[in-house]
Amino acid sequence: MDLPRAPGTVTDPSPLPRLRAPHLVLAFLAVVTAVVGSVIGLWVVPPDAMQGDVQRLMYLHVPAAWLAFLAFFVVFVMSVLYLIQRDPRWDLLAASSAEVGVLFTALTLVLGSLWGKPIWGVWWTWDPRLTTTAILLVIYVGYLAVRSFAADPERAARWSAVVGIVGFADVPIVYLSVTWWRSLHQPPSSPQSMASSMLWTLMLNLVAFTLVYAYLLLRRYQVAVAEQELDARRAED
Amino acid sequence: MGAGPALRLEGIGKRFGHTWALRDVSMEVAPAELVALVGPNGAGKTTLLRLVGALHRATAGRAEIFGLEIPGDEELVRRESTLLPPHGFLYEQLTGLENLRFARLMAGTKPSREELLDVLARVDLVRAADERVGGYSSGMLKRLSLARLLLRTPPLVLMDEPYASLDADGIDLVDGIIDELRESGRTILLASHRWERAIRDADRLVVMERGRIVWTGTPAAWAERRDAGGALAGTPGPERAGAAGTPGERPATGSGA
Amino acid sequence: METWLRTWAILWKDILIEVRTKGTFNAMAFFAALVLFIFSFAIGPDAALLRRLGAGLLWIAITFTGLLALARTYHSEEMAGGLEALLLYPGEPRAIFLGKLVGNLVVLLLVEAILYPVAAVLFHVDLGGHFLSTAGVAILGTFGFSVVGTFYSALTLHLRAREVMLPLLVLPLLVPVLLGAVSATAALLTPETAGGLGGWIRLLVAFDILYFVVCTWTFPVLLER
Repeated sequence: MDLPRAPGTVTDPSPLPRLRAPHLVLAFLAVVTAVVGSVIGLWVVPPDAMQGDVQRLMYLHVPAAWLAFLAFFVVFVMSVLYLIQRDPRWDLLAASSAEVGVLFTALTLVLGSLWGKPIWGVWWTWDPRLTTTAILLVIYVGYLAVRSFAADPERAARWSAVVGIVGFADVPIVYLSVTWWRSLHQPPSSPQSMASSMLWTLMLNLVAFTLVYAYLLLRRYQVAVAEQELDARRAED
Repeated sequence: MGAGPALRLEGIGKRFGHTWALRDVSMEVAPAELVALVGPNGAGKTTLLRLVGALHRATAGRAEIFGLEIPGDEELVRRESTLLPPHGFLYEQLTGLENLRFARLMAGTKPSREELLDVLARVDLVRAADERVGGYSSGMLKRLSLARLLLRTPPLVLMDEPYASLDADGIDLVDGIIDELRESGRTILLASHRWERAIRDADRLVVMERGRIVWTGTPAAWAERRDAGGALAGTPGPERAGAAGTPGERPATGSGA
Repeated sequence: METWLRTWAILWKDILIEVRTKGTFNAMAFFAALVLFIFSFAIGPDAALLRRLGAGLLWIAITFTGLLALARTYHSEEMAGGLEALLLYPGEPRAIFLGKLVGNLVVLLLVEAILYPVAAVLFHVDLGGHFLSTAGVAILGTFGFSVVGTFYSALTLHLRAREVMLPLLVLPLLVPVLLGAVSATAALLTPETAGGLGGWIRLLVAFDILYFVVCTWTFPVLLER
């Protein structure tokens, strides 16, 4: 598209200019790995000796958790880049990652609860990782709320970038403090070793989820760029 | 005064949300010039002054103030300029003197009571020096604001509606301050609704409307143009009735509306 | 030097205004004590239970009162017409953060000076035992709270729903501070209930330093218009 762009907007919507439809390639890869990973994880691989079939939720829960944190790391990096360079591309990528990330975070918590109930008998334990994930969810919500409540896009970008940076710094500290807090009140659970077949399945699902994240991120980003361009044209009058 | 303009704006644009307050504003101001900005409400005069004073970040374009660039050297630009805002931004629970003390401390020096009283004397506010600003009239507030301006006068002085809320004495005071600033070589950019002496004596007039510059030239040329009927609604100028003069002559008006 | 003058200017100005608008501090202190009272009613007269929960309840009361105080950080500027009241003068923008930070810290510590004795009475806790250490923990915790809160109070100034946004943004960040302050205070005042004092103090110090650096460094972004 060769239409002149309004100042202050993204000039190049496709981050991979060489591929004509990069999202299709990603979608294909994501779907393939996700299908294979799910089939193997949910049917093929033998279940855990002690926990039974419920343990299969691990193949969804752990990758979802990985993505919840990866997505926020991306928000952090993009926020830093935006504040330094003020290029709207970084801001839109950050916002897109936050939207995708909040979904995965919520998913992590729900799956964690579902997995926990049959095993520990309660919907929620103050497990350090789940607790940190819950706090991460609130930080994400804060990030998105700032964007939504700011008076104009420039402020939304600037302030949410700040929230992304300051919030990210909090995550490791929260994890450390909750772990310490829990360890004072109950003995640490011994890490269990995993059968290699389970490990490989987990790895496969991690890759699959990461590809799904990348696809969603890319599409959301493209939509965000189009939205911004539309807004800019409306404002031209 | 070095070579080169005091101020150069190239394609300056400023957007708030979805509204463009300034669009494609380009102008140059030479050192020691007095340039008056005129235009109706919403023309963008205040935004422009604040942008030049590095209180706003431009959405588009660039600006150079005494060779310093914004975006980039905001802090340095703010040292080289000062802004008289249309509203005081004064603290009501503090006295006039304390407000000035605050201003001085914020600018980095510890003032003595005498210094502050001297400045208050300039604007005829010594009587109210130790009264809380909450009890000041709007004219007194304006004078206090002017006193604050006098505390620090860097090379570029930006004045936004300096005549607002003032009576005839106050208007003379402002004109007197402007004369002094000009004499000491300051560059002045002044926005006003009112056609006071300083505007008539300005080196140049810049007329703005809806965020753009629509006309620039001498005040005399503007006065003629206005009388000829090509004026913008709400833009200050000499009174129409009886103000028409022969081309090249200054129109004979009293202090304007 | 100029930066310190600016910091002092803001602190001096805020204290003057606070002293002249009588009643705000008193209302806050009463509110804090009231929160503690309400907790006692909610939990019931079981002395042993109140004692065990005392440190936690105290810090919740400090948090609620703190959020009220933080929401007012820029109140005098808002009454004066806006942040321009601070931005009209050239100089280090971070001095604004420092001045407001110290102001909030002082107000909160003064409220705590009243709150701790009230808590000691209501929750059957003896303050005399480790008075200096308890005060030290209070300062460390309040400092962390004030850093994050003063920072976000500037961010939420022009945000819709800011009364909600301030707690929403501040509280998740404060989880480590709350855990640390409550655990350390409990370890000091009711040693039978908790342990690990040294670790918690280190955590508080680390948090305070990290956030002081991050917030001070990033603050100028919040002042841009």
